[in-house]
Amino acid sequence: MTAGRIAPSNGLLYLAMAALLVLAVVAQAVRDRGWQPYEPPSDVMWIQSGPLADRLALSFDNLTADLYWMRVVVYYGGQRRSAVAARNYDQLFPLLDLVTSLDPQFRIAYRFGSIFLAEPPPGGPGRVDQAIQLLEKGLERDPKRWEYALDIGFVYYWWVGDYAKAAEWFRRAGDIPGAAEWLAPLAAVTLAEGGNRESSRRLWTELRDRGDLDWIKRTASHRLQQLDAMDAIDELNHSTQRFAARHGRPPADWRELAAAERWRGIPLDPSAEPFVLDPQTGRVGLSPKSGLWPLPDGSSVRARP
Amino acid sequence: MAAIETENLTKDYLVGFWRRKPYRALDSLTLTVESGEVFGFLGPNGAGKSTTLKLLMQLIYPSSGSARILGKPVGDVEVRRRIGFLAENPYYYDYLTAEEVLTYFARLFGLPAADVARRVSSILDDVGIGAERRMKLRSFSKGMLQRVGLAQALINDPEIVFLDEPMSGLDPLGRRHVRDVILRLRARGATVFFSSHILSDAETLCSRVGIMAQGRMVASGRVSEMVAFDLKGWELTVSKVSDGLRDALEPRVQAIHSLTHGRYTIQIGADHKPEELMTELAARGASVESLNPLRDTLEDYFVKQIAAANPRETARL
Amino acid sequence: MRAILLVAGAVFRESVRDRVPYSMVLFAVLLMAASYLISQMTAGQDLKIIKDLGLASIAVFGLLIAVFIGIGLVSKEVERKSVYALLSKPISRPQFILGKFLGLVLTLVVNIGAMTAAFYAVLLYMNIVNPNLQIAAPAPSLDPRLLIAIGLILAELMVVTAVALFFSTFSSPLLATVLTLGLWVAGHFNADLRNFESVIDNPAAAWIALVAYYALPNLAPFDVKAEVVHGVPVTLRHVGLTLTYAVLYTGVLLTAAIAVFRRRDFK
Repeated sequence: MTAGRIAPSNGLLYLAMAALLVLAVVAQAVRDRGWQPYEPPSDVMWIQSGPLADRLALSFDNLTADLYWMRVVVYYGGQRRSAVAARNYDQLFPLLDLVTSLDPQFRIAYRFGSIFLAEPPPGGPGRVDQAIQLLEKGLERDPKRWEYALDIGFVYYWWVGDYAKAAEWFRRAGDIPGAAEWLAPLAAVTLAEGGNRESSRRLWTELRDRGDLDWIKRTASHRLQQLDAMDAIDELNHSTQRFAARHGRPPADWRELAAAERWRGIPLDPSAEPFVLDPQTGRVGLSPKSGLWPLPDGSSVRARP
Repeated sequence: MAAIETENLTKDYLVGFWRRKPYRALDSLTLTVESGEVFGFLGPNGAGKSTTLKLLMQLIYPSSGSARILGKPVGDVEVRRRIGFLAENPYYYDYLTAEEVLTYFARLFGLPAADVARRVSSILDDVGIGAERRMKLRSFSKGMLQRVGLAQALINDPEIVFLDEPMSGLDPLGRRHVRDVILRLRARGATVFFSSHILSDAETLCSRVGIMAQGRMVASGRVSEMVAFDLKGWELTVSKVSDGLRDALEPRVQAIHSLTHGRYTIQIGADHKPEELMTELAARGASVESLNPLRDTLEDYFVKQIAAANPRETARL
Repeated sequence: MRAILLVAGAVFRESVRDRVPYSMVLFAVLLMAASYLISQMTAGQDLKIIKDLGLASIAVFGLLIAVFIGIGLVSKEVERKSVYALLSKPISRPQFILGKFLGLVLTLVVNIGAMTAAFYAVLLYMNIVNPNLQIAAPAPSLDPRLLIAIGLILAELMVVTAVALFFSTFSSPLLATVLTLGLWVAGHFNADLRNFESVIDNPAAAWIALVAYYALPNLAPFDVKAEVVHGVPVTLRHVGLTLTYAVLYTGVLLTAAIAVFRRRDFK
């Protein structure tokens, strides 16, 4: 750097640079409109083996694990962005396996990895077996991590619907020193009442409040809203039953019921869409137009297969 | 139209890493060099000589002030066809041969293709590079590189030649050679602007000199004007002086140095008349070989000027 | 114009006498020959491996040539002060920069050409020795479409050269090398920035990612090696627009390099 100088002015050059950059951006935008990065059919992952990668990464295991984790996120995001028919999550488990082999303490990889794996198509591969396998690997490496046991329980609870197994895992999680206090009661409730809405609510609240990935938070909030909607539907069903008992037939539409119950407006679900009232049966349901549709199957909290 | 003109040419640098302080490398240089002159640009290291040359070549940009070459502002690309420049400690492309480097530069001047080979050949002859011209510059000594440097400065038969310390690091033969080149340029009517430490050459080569110290020009003018004509004394070279004669002379003269047995140089002050001493020497059987007047040299003048500009600096010299 | 061509010629001549490009081409050729041996060991994947390795060698060694010579283009001249003699001749600073760029592009074309010739030689040999191999493969051995991939690699290297040249106008060789390679890596991850959107959801971060995507060189679309090896067609539209982008983005970089170089003091 020198103090002020009498040197040629670059004004025109800067203008030219800006113009060329704009044109370059335009060219890019036009090209991108028809282009997706090509993911070959069975993408050869050159390094399949965890221990091999470990050796190749020399002393940079953790860094390499981080890089591969970023690859997981990008891969998963990329697949979700592509057309439904073209989605292929084959590399997800191998990549997650690699990341956790390189860095066995990589908590996020286990926890969110299992969420990615368990998510049913088309949002994910729907591989609950792989999700459980991943979490069991983590637990084996680090038996003090009660969160992994909790997550396995969650997978059984929400995705598989096996409440007995879920309860067993919640209990195991609760037995690990340092675990949250609500795990033991949760185990008991799960065992007793199966797919109880309260336990589901508790689990989703736990996920939402973890606060690591916004995407996870959004999914959890979405589920919680669905649970709220289900609670609301139960309430509304009580109202229609009351009406039917009094008038001998179900309400014909919302206005009738609203007048009878002295509501100020017609009931809306948490996504601000009106509920659907069947005048034949008096049963209330969620509108297919709702952002929360479809609900996890009525009052019994069970996931789709 | 003057060959070279500067007007209040100034260059400041910011020195230091965090608290950058301005350092004035060149302070308001106003200078004119007429066509055909040989101008010596003299001064100690750090005086601003290289800075001035770089400003004239537009290798760096001034903080303020202006300069013109052949009437056009410095940096005019067309003017560069008519000038030549030799940088201090030059480096060319060591994977090329001397011929190839000069051919490259000659083509840049736009010399017609047919002439290029001929010009390259003759300029290499002029600077005294023979068969080595087909060797890679990697293998050249400093002296030979300097000759290549001169060649590339002169290949376009320039009207003005700028030389930055052309004689630095050369052996006496090399220095003599550079002197001869400058004299030939002078004879041809070209303008020569060169910077140097070696003052004795400046004395004989230059029509005018400028003396720089700490970024300012402290003195300039014709050499003859600057060096006093005042006589400082005389120096005689005598032979066949016997020991007795020498012992007798010793207390009366400024200095007496022995050359070989019987041969001495004798220095006397300006107040002595040499004729008296010469007569006396002849009477005693000695023979006077030569008599030279001693005057102030440019170097004496130079040191005086620098001392005036910076007393502390010269105390250390 | 003449000055630009002269400087370009000098750069090319220097590269011919420089050991770096030869070593790179030699390594590439060796790797291709080795790929032939390797392919003997993997059942049924021979052709794919040779093509993959061949294209990858051309890309990697081409990159090394572009970066290491590109960095030295300006910084070496300035460091050794040969730029003093050159700039005192009737040549402007912009002509100097453009000449250097052109010279290196010429060097790349020649070296990549040599590697391509070796590549096709290996493929030809493969074809002669085992002509049945390409029956089951998605693309023929001597697939002319490989040239499309190589052409785009060349275009990508042109952009990288411009990056290297730009950095070398003002920083030391070491820093310029690090920055250029860093920008190359970033350029390849650039396309992934768009995929982050569906997983990360912070609006400020998404906006930054978008700006970065457009401002930084986007090099992933130049990589059609996978498509070509699997016989998936590459549209003319894609190639044409990507080349256009390359030329425009290179223009931005060269203009920037000229802007910096023009105002520089050579102390």
